[in-house]
Amino acid sequence: MDILSNLALGFGVALSPYTLFLAVCGCFLGTIIGALPGLGPSNGVAILIPITFTLGLDATSALVLMTSVYYGAMYGGRISSILLNIPGDEPALMTTLDGYPMAKQGRAGDALVLSGVASFVGALLATIGLMLLAPSLARVAFLFGPAEYFALYLLAFCTLGGMASNNQAKAALAACMGLGIAMIGVDSSSGLPRLTGGSLHLFDGVDFLVAIVGLFAIAELFFFIESHGKGSSIGVALDKVRVPWKDIFDTKWTMLRSSGVGFVAGILPGAGASLGSFLAYMTEKSIAGPNGGFGTGVPKGVAAPEAGNNAAAGGALVPMLTLGVPGSGTTAVLLALLMTLNITPGPTLFTERPEVVWGLIASLLIANVVLLLMNVPMVKIFVKVLMVPAWILLPGVTMISFVGIFSLTGSYFDMLMMIGFGVLGYFLRKLDVPTVPVILGILLGGNMEDALRRAMILSDGDVTYLFSSPISIGLWVAAILGFVAPMFLRNVLKKPPAITD
Amino acid sequence: MKTKVKAFGLTAAFCLIGGAASAAECIAPANPGGGWDFTCRQIGKILYDIGAVDTPVQVTNMPGAGGGLAYTTVVNERNDEENLIIAASSATTTRLAQNAYAGMTADQVRFVGAIGADPGVIVVAADSPFQTLGDMVEAIKADPGSVAFAGGSAVGGFDHMKPLMILKEGGFTDITSIKYIGVDGGADAITQTVGGFTQAMTGDMSEVVSFLANGDIRVIAVLTEDRVPGFEDIPTAKEQGYDVVAVNWRGLYVPKGISDAHFEEWAGKLQQVADSEEWAQAMADNGLAPFTLVGGQFQSYVDGLVADINAMSKELGVIQ
Amino acid sequence: MASDRIFGLITLITAVAYIAAATQIQTNFFSGEFLPKLFPLLIGGVAAICSLSIIFRADPDPDWPGGPTWISMAIAVVVLAIYAVLLKPLGFIGPTIFAAGILSYQISFRPVASILSGFGLSLGLFVLFKYALGLGNIVAYRIPKEGQLWDALAILIPFVGGH
Repeated sequence: MDILSNLALGFGVALSPYTLFLAVCGCFLGTIIGALPGLGPSNGVAILIPITFTLGLDATSALVLMTSVYYGAMYGGRISSILLNIPGDEPALMTTLDGYPMAKQGRAGDALVLSGVASFVGALLATIGLMLLAPSLARVAFLFGPAEYFALYLLAFCTLGGMASNNQAKAALAACMGLGIAMIGVDSSSGLPRLTGGSLHLFDGVDFLVAIVGLFAIAELFFFIESHGKGSSIGVALDKVRVPWKDIFDTKWTMLRSSGVGFVAGILPGAGASLGSFLAYMTEKSIAGPNGGFGTGVPKGVAAPEAGNNAAAGGALVPMLTLGVPGSGTTAVLLALLMTLNITPGPTLFTERPEVVWGLIASLLIANVVLLLMNVPMVKIFVKVLMVPAWILLPGVTMISFVGIFSLTGSYFDMLMMIGFGVLGYFLRKLDVPTVPVILGILLGGNMEDALRRAMILSDGDVTYLFSSPISIGLWVAAILGFVAPMFLRNVLKKPPAITD
Repeated sequence: MKTKVKAFGLTAAFCLIGGAASAAECIAPANPGGGWDFTCRQIGKILYDIGAVDTPVQVTNMPGAGGGLAYTTVVNERNDEENLIIAASSATTTRLAQNAYAGMTADQVRFVGAIGADPGVIVVAADSPFQTLGDMVEAIKADPGSVAFAGGSAVGGFDHMKPLMILKEGGFTDITSIKYIGVDGGADAITQTVGGFTQAMTGDMSEVVSFLANGDIRVIAVLTEDRVPGFEDIPTAKEQGYDVVAVNWRGLYVPKGISDAHFEEWAGKLQQVADSEEWAQAMADNGLAPFTLVGGQFQSYVDGLVADINAMSKELGVIQ
Repeated sequence: MASDRIFGLITLITAVAYIAAATQIQTNFFSGEFLPKLFPLLIGGVAAICSLSIIFRADPDPDWPGGPTWISMAIAVVVLAIYAVLLKPLGFIGPTIFAAGILSYQISFRPVASILSGFGLSLGLFVLFKYALGLGNIVAYRIPKEGQLWDALAILIPFVGGH
């Protein structure tokens, strides 16, 4: 078979004792980088690219090292999500929702191992999808114009309603906050500042990392000062770390479905990994229904976003390799790496440089297997974090967050803004307003607006252009259903509480 | 546990390297993956490979305001660092000429040189009715709304100006009626054009090479004086009667505050890169045309370019 | 109920202010008159509707902490803000001992342990960031020039500092 021989070619290029050694080191280093709030896969790979030249690595070894650092960082991101409720980077955002409650129940080890397995499944299926379908799937990107992308983002935000525990308006308001913040900065088409209040510091907009670290890490500190650790995961008696076979078996369909959802989201260049994990989580949540217990620490709630975001990361390689369009921040870094190695991705890459493509695919598989095998021993080390006394751990995490942001921009302004987000996060969580939509709004707001504006330019301001193709109509219908269904279902399934004053 | 020990060993190795690798830094004023990033990484790699620098060049990505953030940072905060180089291209001079860097001017840094150029192109989908540049210009004259362009630069940027210059040559002046959307890079612009959402793409040769081989697109004009070697079947705009030349050079600038000796040193190193075989290969792989201009000569080229684009932008109405 | 109503009112006012600000967005000839304002106006409108909905369908009040906790949290905010502005002029080690130590005390109320944790975290993290991860802009310590320290702190005082 063609694919098998291609894969053999890839492994022939990428597999050797030396590259395996590099993969192990890369996975370990990446995990640490990913687990530190504020430092994500993109920084990790970007910092390490020059090192590959110092070590004198050839192209293949560099590729293996980088992909393992990249996957390691994706893995590390969820460690802090699960243990401390602080997403290490943006694809790990959704994992906080059920991972942290699991840690509070003493099941941190289970959650970490399960998420490792789910990531492996997602990444593996996406890699298989990439191998089988990449050349034909590349055409999918041609079907998505501005109107279709706008409808896709709308779908994401309309399904947010199901996230708040009981008040849909709060989730929608949180999304608006994020979208509103995303509008701040210099407008690319006029070159004039928008909504900055004249502050030069805001010309470049608000970095989502500042928001993510503030809303989660700093807000967590305030909760700790308030409660002195009651109800947090720190110091909870931990189960022994073992492989939770039952959870893995129970979540098999969740993993498969989420991989599919994530992969499709990944293929669309405008969507990216965070949208993949988000849509996977919401899909599973709606399949499980209100009795599924999503948000209270169920294994499916951990498996879905992890399978989803890793599958999306794999899916994002399709437009990156076949069209040269990076679908997410992390594929942009891999693209940069390929270009440094004098490889320009494009429609002919698969036929002209098969050894590169299949070498990359083989390195992804190697990194995945290494991470899976390192999973259990690493989890044993990382859950120890929760045994560190809170009065060391919390200040430590806070300081790491500051340095992460400081190394990003070197500006006191971003750190002050992060504190502001921390205070905001405290009040939002107190008032039962979900903070995840704020981050999604900041992440996707710019893209969503661009899509709308491009659609308006192309159609001369004709609003009907937004739903003029079958794809966009389908997405609009799904969006409206996604928004209306939770309200309707809630009234049917649960007696509304009497409104009293 | 064994893996852990090994990994710590490597971490320690990284530490040593990390400590020493503080030599030269190249700022790519954009996210990884774009032209500036390519310039930094390629030049940085070749500088190290040919031994022009002792330690690998650290590449820093500083996206923001179309390169404006990096420019402002260099001028205001890092004006005297002799180990700093910054990737630049026609986009840098275009923005400077259009006063899009918050009041910064081209004389606040020193331009070291350019070592390659990317010819401008106008591209349509393979199934497009436009066979020549003339077909397209006539269609726009008949109904300006019927042709939308996609390009990798923002509105008013270099990619946007290419079709405007051509239309002006063709005698069409109502430029506000020309539809243009700025997307995230040339590849994205091609995707939109092949998908039929826009009717033409304006960009650089390097962005279209691999799509050309695949047969998805047709290049209806290249914006150079003569046909590009290796792409002899693509007609120039000039021979189709539209005298427009627009190439996107790739090069570097350095902070203004460094000594002449350091400036000359960077110019020399850049010349070494330009002369290297690695660079020749990188250019061939990426559809760049040779274009080497280093040192004082380049500075006067840039000054001329800024003046030209400024005049042209005013004439086209891109700036007041 | 009252908490949500106050929250809804604040967000409603913010949304209206946002809409007002959006109508004032500068445009030029190339961005078009209306497009840069369109999406911000839509967001502001949706946010205002959500705020109204929260006001009229308020949830029960959360358990707010008591007075001493508010003071504790206010101290934490001030300490973090001071840390943010001093990190650059004083370098990493000094401000980190100070900030980590105080935060640690706020959680444990044990002075000796807090001081030790301040020193330990500061030095430990410095080694991690500087040598293991090679972050370039982390500096061990800086001796600030005269007036620099005041300039940095003045950023935090409204109408005095700020750039």
